[in-house]
Amino acid sequence: MSIIQQHTQATLSDAWRTINIDALTEDSSVNFDVSTLHPPLPEISEADARAINGQVRQLLRGGDAEGALRGCLEMPVYNGSEAAKETHLHTVIEVLQSIKASEMTPMLQRIFAQQGGSECLDVLMKYLYKGMAATSSSSSSAADGSGRATPARAMTPQATGGFSQVGQRPMASNESTGSAMSVLLSWHEKVVEVAGLGCIGRVMTDFRRV
Amino acid sequence: MSQSLRPYLQAVRSSLTAALCLSNFASQTAERHNVPEVEARTSPEVLLTPLTIARNENERVLIEPSINSIRISIKIKQADEIEHILVHKFTRFLTQRAESFFILRRKPIKGYDISFLITNFHTEEMLKHKLVDFIIQFMEEVDKEISEMKLFLNARARFVAESFLTPFD
Repeated sequence: MSIIQQHTQATLSDAWRTINIDALTEDSSVNFDVSTLHPPLPEISEADARAINGQVRQLLRGGDAEGALRGCLEMPVYNGSEAAKETHLHTVIEVLQSIKASEMTPMLQRIFAQQGGSECLDVLMKYLYKGMAATSSSSSSAADGSGRATPARAMTPQATGGFSQVGQRPMASNESTGSAMSVLLSWHEKVVEVAGLGCIGRVMTDFRRV
Repeated sequence: MSQSLRPYLQAVRSSLTAALCLSNFASQTAERHNVPEVEARTSPEVLLTPLTIARNENERVLIEPSINSIRISIKIKQADEIEHILVHKFTRFLTQRAESFFILRRKPIKGYDISFLITNFHTEEMLKHKLVDFIIQFMEEVDKEISEMKLFLNARARFVAESFLTPFD
C-alpha cells in the first residue's frame, strides 16, 4: 500500500503551510501575555467617561482651562470599551481646542512643575497621537463614501468625468480636519518643548494604551 | 515653508528621534536568526505603541517602533488623480531601486505610499540624526517634486494639444 494513495484533495492543497504553528504552542513567544506588562487597571465605563466629560465642560465654562486639562489627563481611560475611549478622546480634544495658542506653553510648564505633572503630559502625548490617528482614519473613511479619488476609484477615471481638478479637490471637507490637526500638532510641539523627547519614548514603551 | 508644514515635520522629527533607539535582538522563535521584529511580529512584548502623525486626512506618517527595528510609512499628499498617478510612478521608481536606498522597504504597507524599515544594523553603521534628516528631507522634497512634475505635465500637455490642433487652425 503506497502512501500516495492516501492523499485526498485536502491533503494535496498547501493550505496547511499557512498555519502558524507557533500560535498553537503554549510557551511560544507569540503567546506572550502583554497584560502582564502593566499593573491591573480599573475599568472605566462609557457612563463614567461621560461624567468626566460633563465635569470638564463645567470647568471649561467656568474659565478654568488648566483645571479642565488636568482633570481629563488624570483620568485616562486605559481599560474600557471603545466607546468610553472615544468619549474621553473627544473630551481631551475639546479642551485642547478651547485653549489659546499663547496660553499653551505657560500652562504646560505649570502642569509639569506640579506633583505628577510629568505623567499628565505623558497621557496628553498619548491622546495627541491617538487624536491624530483617529481623526485621519475616521475622516478618510467618511471621504471614501463621498466619492473622493481613492486608489480603487482612480481605476475608473470615466466615472469622475476625466481629469477635472475642480470637483476633485477634497479641500472643503479637509478644512475642519486640517485645522483640528494643526491644533494637535502645535500642542505636540509645545509638549516636546516642555517635557522633552522622553515623553514620546514613554508613550511608545507604555503598554497602558489609551 | 507653509504654516502647517513646519509643526508637522517637527512632530515627525521629534517622534523619529525618540523612536530610533534600537538594540540588537535575536529572534525568540527561530534559533540563530535575527529578524526585524516589527516585520516578524512573533513577540508582542517587543512591539511598541505605533504612533501616527497627521497633517490632514491625506498626509500622514505612521511610525511603528519595536526593539530592533522601526517602520516608517508615509502617505504623500494627493489632491487629484494626476497627483495620484505621479505619486504611484514616483514611489514605484524608488522602490524598484530599494537596494541603493538601504532603508527603503520594497512594498509600502496598506494605506500608505512608501515605507522605510530601519533596523539596528542601519543605526550601527549610519548616523541617527542623518537618518532622521534623510526622512524629513524626503518628505519635504517629495511634495515639491510631485507639484513640479504636475506643472511640467500640464505644460507639456498644453504644448502637445497646441501642436496637434495647429493643422485645423
